[in-house]
Amino acid sequence: MLKLKGVEDVYYPGTIKEAVSLLRRDKEGSEIVGGGLDISVLPNPRIKHLIFLDKLGLEYVKKTEDGIKIGATSSISFATDSAPMQTYFNGKVKEILNEIATELLRNQITFGGSLGKREPYSDIVTMLIALDAKVVLSDGEWDEELSIADFYKGNFRKLIKERIIKEVILNNFDSSYFFSMERFVRNATDIALLNMGILLKLDGKEISNAIIAVGSRPKPAYLFEEGMKYAKGKSLSKEFAEEFGNFVESHIDVDKDYRVSKEYRAHIAGVFAKRILLEAMEG
Amino acid sequence: MKVKYIINGKEETYEIHPGEVLLDVLRRNGHSEVKGNCYLGTCGACTVLIDGVPHTSCTILAAKVNGSEITTIKGVGSLNNSHPIQKAFVEKGAVQCGFCTPGTILSAYALLKKNPDPTDEDIRKSLDGNLCRCTGYVQQIESVKLAVKLLKEGKNE
Repeated sequence: MLKLKGVEDVYYPGTIKEAVSLLRRDKEGSEIVGGGLDISVLPNPRIKHLIFLDKLGLEYVKKTEDGIKIGATSSISFATDSAPMQTYFNGKVKEILNEIATELLRNQITFGGSLGKREPYSDIVTMLIALDAKVVLSDGEWDEELSIADFYKGNFRKLIKERIIKEVILNNFDSSYFFSMERFVRNATDIALLNMGILLKLDGKEISNAIIAVGSRPKPAYLFEEGMKYAKGKSLSKEFAEEFGNFVESHIDVDKDYRVSKEYRAHIAGVFAKRILLEAMEG
Repeated sequence: MKVKYIINGKEETYEIHPGEVLLDVLRRNGHSEVKGNCYLGTCGACTVLIDGVPHTSCTILAAKVNGSEITTIKGVGSLNNSHPIQKAFVEKGAVQCGFCTPGTILSAYALLKKNPDPTDEDIRKSLDGNLCRCTGYVQQIESVKLAVKLLKEGKNE
């Protein structure tokens, strides 16, 4: 089964500058390939040129003063096997990543590819937005660091036709932060019917700040700002978890698709929000 | 375009279309031990090791892995010289129709190379992309545990 019939040539650039130059030569007909899962499963017949990033040395996970830097071509498995991820949020982020898809696909899905494609069902995108992570774009001469939420607020598809996603930066968080994520799937290999990531800054029991990202709704992941405002300044308790779950269910921006109704998705969102707050209470 | 791979230790050069997936290239060139089915990466029947890491060859662009080392089930063992994992699969009844078996054994092989003493959870995780409609998975997990024992006893490659 020839999946990409229109492909005429492939490139293996040795530098980011070279990759960008190839990309700019034919922006519409060229495709940057991270792991290549998306392009092989959802082939685009208009693609003529494939640009592979494997020779750019972007497969790394490094602990730095700013946090953890994950190179764009690092797969989920590569990242979860790395030393810095073993302890990040006490291994919670690693645990969440290991629940995505299957081992075989985790070996292929890359961080850069996930961000560049922004598939609506992507668990990685939801997780990175909730973690307030940053993306670094590069043209080989100049690197720009953007919060992932801001990256998607602009015309990111235009940006990635001009520059390469070089790396993702996970911020350092002290022990006053709590993070968790929930995803609802029908079986282990299914894409989520809804996913939600919540980062809380806690001052004792008080929520001094919250970041809430929701994806697979079925639209792409977004920041649930109403919920973030609602949670801010509240005290963690079973009663508030219940109240917050109800708030999320009635205010979340979700829709229906052929798999699930809008009401059911909203209900799941409420359950997830409540569950994560209860988990935060338990520490 | 031309690509070069080292397949089961032997250097091979193939003429490919730049938009082809690895599964098609391997099967067209005689590697029928690599099974094809879903072409979506969901069943795992087409699993091969690329530089030691298991992948669904139906979702890997053949051009992307140009120059890589590829292992199919024939690189793990043969009828007359079975690998302990293969022996364990036979002994524990983890093979029925056999269609998923090459991929499943390759996933198990990669796991035991990386982690010679896996927990049940590690085994389940490593095989979670290899669907089997016959065995119900219990026998496969038992097989990997038996293989761990056989390998520790020195009945290895």
